[in-house]
Amino acid sequence: MHAFLTHSLIGLRLHFRNIMAVVYGYLFPTIFLVAFWTLYRYEQTPLIRHIGELLTITVLGGACFGLPTTLVSERERGVWRRYRLTPVSTATLVASTLTTRYVLLVIAALLQLGLAMALGMPAPRHPGQLFVAFSCTALALMGLGLTIAALADNVPAVQALGQCVFLPMLILGGVAVPLASLPPWAERLSAFFPGRYAVEVISATAAGDGLRGAGYAVFALLAIAVAATATGLRMFRWDRGQRFRSIRGKGWIAVTVGMWVVVGALAQPRADANARAARTEPATSVTPPPAESAAALAAAPAVSPPPAPQAAPAVKDTAHVTPPVRSAGRAEAEEPVAILTSWRQVTSADVLRDITFDRLPPDAGIVTPIADPADMPDADAAATLADVAGNLDTWPPALVDDPVQRVRNLLAVLATPDVLQQPFERFLPAVIFDHILKTTPQAELLQILYWIAMHPDGGTQPSPDDLVALGLPTAGADPLETRNRAAIYGVKLLGRVMGRL
Amino acid sequence: MSVPAPAVLVQNLRKSYGAVTAVDGVTFDVQPGEVFGLLGPNGAGKTTTVECVIGLREPDSGNISVAGIDRRAHPAAVKRKIGSALQSTALQDAITTREAVALFAALYGAPVTPEAVLDRFGLGPLAATRFGVLSGGQQQRLALALAFVSQPAVVVLDEPTAGLDPQSRRDLHAEIVAMRESGRAVLVTTHDVDDAEALCDRVAIIARGTIVAMGAPPELVARSGRTPTITLSAPESLDRGQLASLDGVLAVSIEGSRATLKVADVNRALVGIGRLFENAGIQLTDLLVRKATLEDVFIELTSLAS
Repeated sequence: MHAFLTHSLIGLRLHFRNIMAVVYGYLFPTIFLVAFWTLYRYEQTPLIRHIGELLTITVLGGACFGLPTTLVSERERGVWRRYRLTPVSTATLVASTLTTRYVLLVIAALLQLGLAMALGMPAPRHPGQLFVAFSCTALALMGLGLTIAALADNVPAVQALGQCVFLPMLILGGVAVPLASLPPWAERLSAFFPGRYAVEVISATAAGDGLRGAGYAVFALLAIAVAATATGLRMFRWDRGQRFRSIRGKGWIAVTVGMWVVVGALAQPRADANARAARTEPATSVTPPPAESAAALAAAPAVSPPPAPQAAPAVKDTAHVTPPVRSAGRAEAEEPVAILTSWRQVTSADVLRDITFDRLPPDAGIVTPIADPADMPDADAAATLADVAGNLDTWPPALVDDPVQRVRNLLAVLATPDVLQQPFERFLPAVIFDHILKTTPQAELLQILYWIAMHPDGGTQPSPDDLVALGLPTAGADPLETRNRAAIYGVKLLGRVMGRL
Repeated sequence: MSVPAPAVLVQNLRKSYGAVTAVDGVTFDVQPGEVFGLLGPNGAGKTTTVECVIGLREPDSGNISVAGIDRRAHPAAVKRKIGSALQSTALQDAITTREAVALFAALYGAPVTPEAVLDRFGLGPLAATRFGVLSGGQQQRLALALAFVSQPAVVVLDEPTAGLDPQSRRDLHAEIVAMRESGRAVLVTTHDVDDAEALCDRVAIIARGTIVAMGAPPELVARSGRTPTITLSAPESLDRGQLASLDGVLAVSIEGSRATLKVADVNRALVGIGRLFENAGIQLTDLLVRKATLEDVFIELTSLAS
């Protein structure tokens, strides 16, 4: 134990004396963070949808490059040969080396989270579970780093092997490029990379519903961690003189690669089931898709609504969430669609033609969530909900004459907490939907919700003061994002009214 | 009463790398309080032998025990008994000497304070100095200090004087003598005959994987049958017949005005030479008596083996 602690502690000290290691371990994650912040600056809630990717990149850098570079350079110098002369077991020294690296990764992650929160990211929703998710990620990727150290004869080989793991995971594995931006084959391929599961568990705990729906990802990470660590230990080399072709235990590479294949293969039926569920009944799907933010993006490709008198919604970016309306292309191919000038002209044919319900973000996701009826709010959330329900009948924006504007105002009540990731967000729809249904005739409601879906930019939005008056602890949210989320909630309500959801 | 076990016992050690046999049936022992040298040219198998003893390599066959403990059965216990300083090891550049001693004390589970070890090896003033900026001699001293943290029964030094300046080499010799005097067994490999002769109580000369001679250095010289030589020079040419007929002279070789005589008895030969030159009225310009050295034996044996 004394040997373990001393070796861990001295490893930490040596790390902080190595300027390059510090720059690599701490400056690069900061640069990534600022880059993501800039890239996604239009999102009202900064960085929360990307913190899974950011932390995964940090762990990848430390585990697939930092760890094996240290190990292999020490081996090349003869440090490990000297360790070998002591009575301490390989497992102890490897464990202390991994512990050192784990502590370094935790420090880097805390810095990154702190900086992200300083830039406006809300605090992680499930900090304890986030810690578990982060640890699973670290274990899986450090195991990989250990395997790289066992495979590499020298430091340049570490760089080459590290890139072989790092780049595909970044680009095709759903780490730096959202899965939704990738072709379906790449999405299937990503199931074979641990990076995808890392992003999934961290996103779910930082901004989603926690680890409850991410059981498979946790299993995948731990399975890869066990296989890779065992491989790294079995093939561990003490001596620079031991070349790769002469070392024993090379068969263990098959264990690591095999585990990736098993994890990926097991995930395929799951991906199919998700895809089927998404096609038929997305709102009641119990299994959340692999990466919630990515799924939300997939659910909302950029579309142009049919020409309308009002300005069409400005869809600025493909990554932006928009309501799921069909493109006009199909309609044009059949027969010209009359240009509607008022919501009162909307017919059920328009609704059936233009609105799709199979690409909505899942109710259990982080975009436009709706709580399962069995899910009970905690005391704080329940108090907020009671306030809102009590104030709705006298809330001026809910009493305006224009029925469309009235519904817009009510949907905005849902959208703002959703964009701000407030903890009660998923419980509000029950209250608001109920009020809308009570106060709006069903025939009108179909027309109104269709109109809002096609014209998310129309009308006005309630002010932050209005929302505070309603009893919401809130602040201003990005108007474009809020309008789109309101429209999606509108479609979810429409689907329920029509019996489609 | 049982005889105490040798500090190191190596029996019939064999080790091959593919088709190359590096060590081929080596047997020796090192007693407590003895400095034992493995002397041989590069590639003779001495480093492989030592690496098998300290646990860096698995022998193909043969037995090794340290302080009576079988290495194969109890590798960790054997490692606790041995302190090693190898040429092929180094430490991280950024580690300080104090940290290095603390780390290795922890790795050996040795209850020593780093300061005491550092002072013992004269490294006290360098406690906060990083390994990367130590001189070669200071690094070697630190390596010795690390070999010593566990208070081992056996100290193994692989080419300890390689690359050291004369002062560091003298310091190292003094350290090795001190270790012997404290009752430790010291196993040294070297290709430097002077080191072996100056330091070792016994030497095994190793060539092509086998021990070709073993014993105390003077004993090895005596056993080799190599005779002393007398080399002399004179201003005029020398007569081989006259020199060869002198009492105690075994053989003569002449190159111009210089003769080399192999002699059975140095004193009798010198008397004869003096008389011969006195009678002939020739002035001796140079006279050198040289007894056989370990180096002669070493060169003879290792060149025979190859």
